[in-house]
Amino acid sequence: MHNPAPATRFPIPALCRGDRELLDGWISGVRTGSLRICLTLIIVGLSLYGATVGLWRGWEMAAYVAIKLPAAVLLTLLVNGLLNGMLGLVLGSGIGFRQSLQFLLAGFAIMALILGALSPVTFFLALNTPPADAPDARDWHALTLLTHTVAIAVAGILSHRKLLGFLREFALSRLAGVQTFFAWLAGNLFVGAQITWILRPFFGTPGLEVQFLRPHPLEGNFYDTVLHAALHLLGF
Amino acid sequence: MTNDPPSIPGIPPNQPETSGFEAMEGGATLSNVLHKLLKKPLSLIHHFEHGEQRNSLTGKLVLIAAICLLVFGLVVGSFSAGTQLWAAPLKIVGGLLFSALICLPSLYIFTCLGGLNAKFRTVAGLLCCMIALAALLLVGFAPVVWLFSASSNSLGFMGFLLTALWLLCVGFGLTLVRRAGKALGMKGSGHLVIWCAVFLLVTLQMPTTLRPIIGKSDRILNLEEKRFFLQYWGEQLTTPHRPNRTAEENID
Repeated sequence: MHNPAPATRFPIPALCRGDRELLDGWISGVRTGSLRICLTLIIVGLSLYGATVGLWRGWEMAAYVAIKLPAAVLLTLLVNGLLNGMLGLVLGSGIGFRQSLQFLLAGFAIMALILGALSPVTFFLALNTPPADAPDARDWHALTLLTHTVAIAVAGILSHRKLLGFLREFALSRLAGVQTFFAWLAGNLFVGAQITWILRPFFGTPGLEVQFLRPHPLEGNFYDTVLHAALHLLGF
Repeated sequence: MTNDPPSIPGIPPNQPETSGFEAMEGGATLSNVLHKLLKKPLSLIHHFEHGEQRNSLTGKLVLIAAICLLVFGLVVGSFSAGTQLWAAPLKIVGGLLFSALICLPSLYIFTCLGGLNAKFRTVAGLLCCMIALAALLLVGFAPVVWLFSASSNSLGFMGFLLTALWLLCVGFGLTLVRRAGKALGMKGSGHLVIWCAVFLLVTLQMPTTLRPIIGKSDRILNLEEKRFFLQYWGEQLTTPHRPNRTAEENID
């Protein structure tokens, strides 16, 4: 008979399955090491994937994005940490500050696992992409951008579906769990978009030099840029 | 077919809206009041109606609100820096406490019109709970506001963000007022809806009266030039945008 690996020794399959025993231990604080495991998974998974995002502009850009992608997730959690804990309590889910961080770390760890698992594929894609000075570089840049957007969206949807399942089970009521989930999601999307905007470039537009951060990264914001782009398209 | 009542944000289903209206455990210490404000705010209202040392609880709620609003105001003031670092926190604390004070008599009258049989001090305590809860949630949003104040120079965007956050936080506070009204025996909520609209109008007008709270000005207060907040917002939105953006300012 096949015995699944103990969740404590190798938690990746249990985390992907949404193993109740593993999460119970993490949330109640009985099982230690959850912070170390989740942080390791987030840093390793997102660094691997991030490197393949920047690789088409060379190894320097690959190294930059390998640092910036996990940093974007961790900074989002840091900025929203207090708010997420408060929302968990005030929405009646019974989930406090430490538990909210644990849930979100578990959710992002799953996302990092999915993206890390896809990184060999995106690495292959990057190796086959013409360089940024090629005549059709803009087309390849658009294709790269689209591919990574789809991959990140799929990983985000799958991991957040798991997170929603966890919250429904652990919250005092299913409705409170769903409300807390959507409150966290909205907050993380809102702040995450701005943090990734500050940490740009990730894809490296052809014609612009490879840099860790663009000049004056703290001037302007994502939503202002999107509004201007929309107004420009509409002819205003 | 079931006739379940519609669900309300913040209230778990299968529980009446008034659940949690019970004696406060743990006494009125500052940490316990903070904890109860987030988890069981109706127990604070119960304490105002039936408990002892109500003045101490009122003082702690006002203290929580003032400290939270000062911290939030400091973050808001960091957008323009300079004199706004001290002026914005003072204006936010003073403006909101003054708004609460001028809305307290109408809250008492409107709750009475709704059929509430509560003491004035309970209604005052309810208002303190509402302000403290909204202020506490605003502190939760302070890192978000700091992120945008450090990275944005758009006055319109910051104004929109702060107004949206205020409406969101005060929404939780107003939900608490409605739940407390029901727990205390209020029959209908129509009168409270009117009061909520009045309170929102007052708190939206207050930043215009005390302007500038974000942005720079030669004068700390501009009380002579009277404006309605919608008129003022309209004027701010029609100021021209930056015409050209460099390639580095786009998403890449």
